[in-house]
Formats: sequence, C-alpha cells, structure tokens
Amino acid sequence: MENTRTKAILVDITKCIGCRSCEQACKEIHGFPKETEAKLSPTALTVIEDHGDRYVRKMCMNCQDPACASACLVGALKKTELGPVTYDASKCIGCRYCIVACPFNVPRYEWSKLVPFVKKCDMCYARQVKGAQPACVEACPVQASIVGWREEILEEAQKRILLDPKYVKHIYGSEEAGGTSVFFISDVPFEKLGMATLPSQPMPMLTANALGDVPTVVLVGGSLLAGLYWITNRRKQVAWAEMQQPSENGNSSTERN
Amino acid sequence: MSKLLSKITLWRTIVAVILAAGCYGAYARFALGFHQSTNLTDGQPWGLWVGLGTLCGVGISAGGFAIAAAVYLLGFERYRPVVRVAVLLSFLGYLTVVIGMMYELGLPWRIWHPIVMWNRHSVLFEVSWCVMLYTTVLSLEFSPALVERIPWKALRETYLKWHHEILIGLVMVGAVLSSLHQSFLGGLYLLTKGKLDPLWYSQYLPTLFYLSAVPAGLSATIMVAYLCNRSMNAKIDPRILTEMSQVIAPLLYVYALFRGIDLFTHGGSAYLFLWRQESLLFWLEIGLFVIAPVILLSRESIRSNPQNLYLTCSLVVMGFMTNRLNVSVTAFERSSGFHYVPKWTEFSLTLATVTAAAVAFHYAVAYLDIIPKKQSQNWIVDSTATA
Repeated sequence: MENTRTKAILVDITKCIGCRSCEQACKEIHGFPKETEAKLSPTALTVIEDHGDRYVRKMCMNCQDPACASACLVGALKKTELGPVTYDASKCIGCRYCIVACPFNVPRYEWSKLVPFVKKCDMCYARQVKGAQPACVEACPVQASIVGWREEILEEAQKRILLDPKYVKHIYGSEEAGGTSVFFISDVPFEKLGMATLPSQPMPMLTANALGDVPTVVLVGGSLLAGLYWITNRRKQVAWAEMQQPSENGNSSTERN
Repeated sequence: MSKLLSKITLWRTIVAVILAAGCYGAYARFALGFHQSTNLTDGQPWGLWVGLGTLCGVGISAGGFAIAAAVYLLGFERYRPVVRVAVLLSFLGYLTVVIGMMYELGLPWRIWHPIVMWNRHSVLFEVSWCVMLYTTVLSLEFSPALVERIPWKALRETYLKWHHEILIGLVMVGAVLSSLHQSFLGGLYLLTKGKLDPLWYSQYLPTLFYLSAVPAGLSATIMVAYLCNRSMNAKIDPRILTEMSQVIAPLLYVYALFRGIDLFTHGGSAYLFLWRQESLLFWLEIGLFVIAPVILLSRESIRSNPQNLYLTCSLVVMGFMTNRLNVSVTAFERSSGFHYVPKWTEFSLTLATVTAAAVAFHYAVAYLDIIPKKQSQNWIVDSTATA
C-alpha cells in the first residue's frame, strides 16, 4: 500500500455554502430518489448536516485501515489500492458486523428490503478508476470538496490551516482511527460539529492480538488436555495393574500395558 | 373425541401458542422483512436475536464440553451419568444458534460463504468456523445415542467401535473449539471501543466471555438434570449435582476477581457508582450472576437440596443472560443515542426456536438412553466407554 499513491477528499467546512449539490449528484449517480434526507440512509450516502451556521458533510471516511473491512467475515469490504473502501454485494451475507464495527457510524442497512444489502460511499471508486472525480466533488460549485493524491491533499490542508489563523489547527481524518481518505478542516472545533473524537490507533489493531493468540491457545490448550488425559489414563492403568497384582504373584509386566 | 381432548394439556397448549407465534414471526421476517419484523436500526444493528439467541445460546451450551472433558479427559467418573444430558443440551443449544442465524442474517441463503470466502482478520470469520466445526463435533459426540437405536447389529457395532476410537480426540477438539468460540464471541466486541460502555468494554472481553460461560453452562446443565429428575422420571443421583455446584462458586470467584481487577486497571471502575441506567444494570448483572449465587452456594442447605440448588443455578443463568444482553444491547444505547426495544416478533421467533429445542430435548430423553431412568434397573452408563 505504501508504494502506491492513494486518492483522498478534502472537505473545507469554511467554504461549504450548504447548496446540497453533492447530495443531489450522489443520488443521481446511484439512481436514488431525489428527496433530501437529514441523515445518512441507504439512499443518501452523503448528506449535509446543519450545525449552527456551519454545514458539515457526512460520508464514509474510507479509512486507511478500515474496521469494517477487518470485521467482514467474507471479505466483501475491501480497502482498494486506490484508496476507496469498496463493498462487493455478491459476497455479503447480511451479518451487519461492519455496521457494529464502524467507529464513524457510517454504513447503512436496507432494513426495508427483502434482499437487504449494506450501503455506503466508496468515493465513486468506479469513476476514479477511469480517472474521473467523485460525483460529489465534481458537483461542488465552490470547491468546498476537492479530490487528489492523498499526500498532496494533506499538504494542501496543512497549508490552509497554517496560513489562515481562523482554522482549528487539526486536520480531521489525518489521525482519527489510524487515518482516513476523507479529511475535514474547519474554523469551529470538530467536537462541536458532531464529529467523534477518536484515538489514532487503527481499529483492527484491537482484534489483532486476540486473533494472534489463537495458535498459542490451540497449542497450549491442546497439549494441556492431552497431558491431563495421559495422566488420567496412566492412573487407570496403574490402578488396574495393582488390582491384578495379588492374584498374579508379583508379575509386574501387566503394568507396562 | 374425549380421547383427543384429553391430549390437550396446559403445557401442550402453551407450546402450541408459542410455536404459532414463532411461525408468524418467521412469516414477518421472510415475507415482510427486517423493518416489519424487528426494531433493529443502524444504531442497533444487532439486537435480541444476536444478544439472546446467539450469545446466550452458545454460552449456556458450555456445559457440554466442560462435563465431557471432566469425565473423559480428567477421569471424573462420577459425573458420567450426566455426560449425555450435558452433550444433548449443548448440541440442541448449538442447533438453536444455527437456526437463529437463518433469520438473523440478512441473506441466509449465503450462509455457506465463509467456507469459501475467507477473511482471517475477522473475528466473526473465526466464530463462523467454530460454529461449523463444533456443531459437527457435538453431533458426533451425541451420535451414539441415536446409533444405538439402529436395528442392524453389524452396522451399529461398527459405528460404535469407530466412535469409541475417536471419542477422546473428539472431546479434546471439542474442548478447544468450544473454548475458542466462547472467547471469540467476546472478541467480536473488541472493535466497539468508544461505543460500548466502559463498564463492559475491555481488551480482555474474550477471557471474560470464556470465564463466565463455563459456570453458566454448568448451571444450565444442573437445571436441566434437575428438571429431568422431577418430571421425566429420571434418576440422577442428586449428590452429583451438589458436587457439580461446588465447582460453580470458585469459578464465579475467579470471574469476579478477574472482572474487578480489569475494571480497576482500565478505568471502568469510575462508572461503578454513578446514578445511571448502565451502572444499575451492571449491579443487577453482578448481583444475579456472582453475589447471590456465591452466598447461596456457600450454604449446605442450598447445595444439598435439589430444588434450592435449581433456583440458585437459575440465578446464575439469569445473571449470565443479563450480562450478554448488556454487552449486546443496553451498553450501546448511550453511544448510539437509540433506545432499542425488541418487537414482539423478535421475541416470538427466539422463544419458538428455544421451545422447539425443549420439545426435541423432551423426546430425546423419553426415547433415547440419555439419562439413568427409574424403570430400567440395569442401565448401562455409557455403552461406548465400556468396551
């Protein structure tokens, strides 16, 4: 992953005018009904939330080391080399562990459908492979959202928050949950915009230890049980031999069986 | 007509009502969908079916591997009369879990996907393999009770001989698989750091799940054995149950000690005495699962009286269920901001699945050699182990 360049989106909250062009572009490209929705839903993979006089765009953060991809037992969710976290609906069994695992509470489930799937933004992976921009970024009339190579996007964000004193001196997404592919910069503290404060440790590290212990548990547990069984069995043999002994006039060979 | 009417007893009526409600639940789930049959949302994507059906179902089935290991591997021969009851309970417990998956998965017809699509970074992947393998082991462990009924002698004896040869291996593999499975269920919640309330979140959730499942499984086995004695004409020496109960209190001590140290080291202890729903539920759980049983089990009059023992064990099981429902439901409410109350169809489907297992248990005990019964004087303890 380190050798290949990945894509990232930067959302500058100070620039967003709340026109919802991104929402509409997203709905259009996915063929969803056009009605504006207040929260993320299976038919709204990005939404603009009002927080006072700021507009905060919600979408999948496409983490660098995604909790959902580590959780998915069949590997339907994947971190692609290009950066987006994609969802292969043909693999999904509908366990919903990705929804349980996501630290940003992003994936949505089609609860009303008889054949339900998980829905989340994948940064328009199919478009980006062809060199096009994500639909939401392309639609933004004021370039509040921009897309580019991750390092360059991070540099741009860094430049903006250093040059202009109004910005909070943090790029949301640079560290959160081990880093993401979607960044936010803002002039209002992120916790006031309903954005979760998260540790910089990638979520999958939380389960890595438990899974790494498996071979040890199997080996130690298995040997312990086998050892205990050997002792039990040996005791039985000795007890059996001692029972036999008096009648066999000290013939100790029975003990060896 | 009067003969037909006499067959309608109170219990049969209750069972019929539960199964009918379960059938409606199944109809709602498969013909109308999650939205009509459950109150699950993106804030509470796992609810009663996972919390009660899977987590409690697997935990209560922990008695099978513990008793089988005690008898076959550690040589505690005196528990032999309850081996088959314990294994049957675990086997049926796992069957309810597998059946439960059929309605809790969104796309149950793809349940086989984990066999060919692997993600070894996923705890749930390991869980799915534990379920597949351990259910197979349990069905093999239980199989002699059915094979003994095969009328063809040659086939029967060939199978039983083969079974006797692999039995020790089966019990060992079963103990390891079951231990892993119990732990992994706790491991599922390791990813929920920051969402799960600090009174329950711990990096040692796998260990805590394991340590709590064993006493719960043993308690459930004692309860079932008692019920067989009371209403199934069984003759299990109550002293065996008393002896089993003497293992439970130390196990609960170990659990409480581990949980306490863990709470104090990771800082969850700060939430212990706050006036909030989570803290109250925590104390309800600890009171039912640890404090009350430990006090009661220290009394000779409780341990040696089968009915008192049964009631004490039911406290352990209820406390255990409270713990699993806290981890899977209530401890998420604060972070998700969503108050989840299961829809009645969620209850009815789970209840019907458990009831079906109870009916299957009843018939198994009635028609197979599961436990020593009063009428048969020379009951062979375990035909496979006498060879």
